[in-house]
Amino acid sequence: MANERSFVTISVVSAQHPGRARFEALLAAEEKVEPADWMPEGYRKTLIRQIAQHAHSEVIGMQPEGNWISRAPTLKRKAILMAKVQDEAGHGLYLYSAAETLGITRDEMVRLLHEGKQKYSSIFNYPTLSWADIGCIGWLVDGAAITNQVMLTRCSFGPYARGMVRICKEESFHQRQGFQIMETLCRGSAEQREMAQDGLGRWWWPSLMMFGPHDSDSTHSDQSMAWKIKRVSNDDLRQQFVDMTVPQADYLGLTVPDPELRWNPERGHYDFGEIDWDEFWAVVRGNGPMNRERIAHKRAAWYDGAWVRKAASAYAARHTGQVG
Amino acid sequence: MDATRLSGDAVVTGPPIIKDLVGAVPDPELPWVTIAELGVLRGARISGERAVVEVTPTWSGCPAIDAITDSIRAVLTEAGFGLEQIEIHTTYSPAWTTDDITHDGLRKLAQAGIAPPRRPAEDPQGATRCPLCDSSGVRPVSEFGATPCKALMVCNACLEPFDRFKEL
Amino acid sequence: MTSRSETATSCHREEHRQLLFRYVLAHADDNLILAQRLSGWISRAPDLEEDIAMANIALDLLGRARMLLDYAGQLEGRDRSEDDLAMFRSEREFTNLLLVEQPNGDFAHTMVRQFLYDAYQTALWKSLCGSADATLAGIAGKAIKEARYHLRHSGTWLLRLGRGTEESHRRTQRALEGLWRFTAEMFETSETDRKLAGAGLGVEPAGLQPGWERGVEKVFCEAGLQIPNDRFARSGGRSGFHTEHLGLMLAEMQWMQRAYPGMQW
Repeated sequence: MANERSFVTISVVSAQHPGRARFEALLAAEEKVEPADWMPEGYRKTLIRQIAQHAHSEVIGMQPEGNWISRAPTLKRKAILMAKVQDEAGHGLYLYSAAETLGITRDEMVRLLHEGKQKYSSIFNYPTLSWADIGCIGWLVDGAAITNQVMLTRCSFGPYARGMVRICKEESFHQRQGFQIMETLCRGSAEQREMAQDGLGRWWWPSLMMFGPHDSDSTHSDQSMAWKIKRVSNDDLRQQFVDMTVPQADYLGLTVPDPELRWNPERGHYDFGEIDWDEFWAVVRGNGPMNRERIAHKRAAWYDGAWVRKAASAYAARHTGQVG
Repeated sequence: MDATRLSGDAVVTGPPIIKDLVGAVPDPELPWVTIAELGVLRGARISGERAVVEVTPTWSGCPAIDAITDSIRAVLTEAGFGLEQIEIHTTYSPAWTTDDITHDGLRKLAQAGIAPPRRPAEDPQGATRCPLCDSSGVRPVSEFGATPCKALMVCNACLEPFDRFKEL
Repeated sequence: MTSRSETATSCHREEHRQLLFRYVLAHADDNLILAQRLSGWISRAPDLEEDIAMANIALDLLGRARMLLDYAGQLEGRDRSEDDLAMFRSEREFTNLLLVEQPNGDFAHTMVRQFLYDAYQTALWKSLCGSADATLAGIAGKAIKEARYHLRHSGTWLLRLGRGTEESHRRTQRALEGLWRFTAEMFETSETDRKLAGAGLGVEPAGLQPGWERGVEKVFCEAGLQIPNDRFARSGGRSGFHTEHLGLMLAEMQWMQRAYPGMQW
């Protein structure tokens, strides 16, 4: 499946390197590239960008859900939500560690995030305005993330692919719980059903945006596919997600906010309407509803904690081996 | 599993069958291991027309226990028990420890890339090893991990970040 | 959590059952309120490791609170669930220690509060492992292991902060001065405590104090922190006489259940 074009690109970057043949052989054999293996600079940079973005998304994603921990309606839901946010932080930490194997430090990635030079998933630039939004994030946002991450379990970079296997299992657990929130709301009072419908109305389109631009407009896709970092195209993943999710919305008795949505028996898929690409690009460029708030929150926590980190490293410097 | 045989006939509803049936429920976050292997299932028996199951939570805050009881209920319903015939008790005593994980459970955790909890009583010299390259040169990143039962480590030899199941 | 055990209602004399209900409820409240407080750090901690630690510790405390609330509901025998007890009691009916309802403040303030509490919890649950009440002893058996993890975490932070930089030392000393007046309350022994201890069901808090003091003094000494001389002690939490902080916190925690009563979530 490796296309010719990619190998031309690679050979320009590092024509003579003896590791190149082995790298290509690993890709061709569907084997994993490990941190100590030789890899083209472009491959390394692409992975750093992507894994860092993934890690940042987990970390920024803690904010919209964290917004409801103190108000969760029952203690069981509070525990589930707290565990989910912990899980996201844990996945973020795992992903930062995976990116570090490629020769970048976590501090550097955090700095790039704060300066807006590395991105996180745009979905977290939308606010959580009701309890149903916590259900929607589990059901739709985690659902979309899992669709993407299942693909990444076949990614050519070992630590990323292996991490995704475990992360997918944990996220599936949370997705199921998000769906249960929706199910409970939809079986509840008129007010609760209204809450659920309002949530779906606001989260549906941003969830579809999570798969990125159309394949025809995606700048990094071809190379990433050739390197087997990405295994399925944006549009195909989006279609998978729609096909999986629409029957769930039907089951819940909720209306997907897309008048063009219908089953197409010839294609064997749902047809759906066009994403509002102006909104998509506005959010990507920093003008979504919550972009400024998310980064401000993150930076405030980082700067407020500076004296703590300083104390910890001063202590560690004097007591090496005793901390940990 | 034959539903009617399970709930209806005293001869085939012996303890091993219900124990196997319920014991095979996978952990929701660590689906590589079953609740029997994790030591979460404390007992399962038939009492008259009822299925009586006893489970114990791992870490106090782990919400997996709620999902586990839901799954047990689902498995028993599928096997022909009415909801009113299912009794699931939570017991706290004796408290669950990682020594309750069976050897199969430990092996499966390791296979899934999770360093299993150490057993100082069985293996005093036992050190945490990298699940990928088996090196014992590993360092902690965080005492607390993605779930209450895990901590995050990194291997100094192959650089692999991995989860370690914490001893409790 | 999944079923109502018969033992709670049949094993105790009526008087003990009601005393034990109040006792278990008070300890449930301590854990619930501190879990709610700590969870405020999630996404705001000094680094990602601490975000995870705060969430994990809050989750352990919440889990413990749920076990205790569930058991309290059984003891009371009025069919109140964990949520009934958590969401539909007023400020005056909560009987948590004042220490746990104090605001988070800065990281030093939170860690000093946590350390004082973890040291107390470690002593408490260790004693309660020997309770004649099987359920309480079982919960204690779980709690003690987690409390030791928590104590190691907060104790390590006290050393880092106390011996880290001038600023961290100053902030930590200030936190200790602000919180010390709430510690004596942990060891006040009520009539309930005495009766339950007499029946082998509970422990007398006063008995935990010497061990607790030795433990915390050792860490404070290592961390270069001075225990305040101020002998003023503020108490009242166990009888529902709280600081003003609790009401606002409950307003937030209980809001959904009060705004939409009688619904499933």
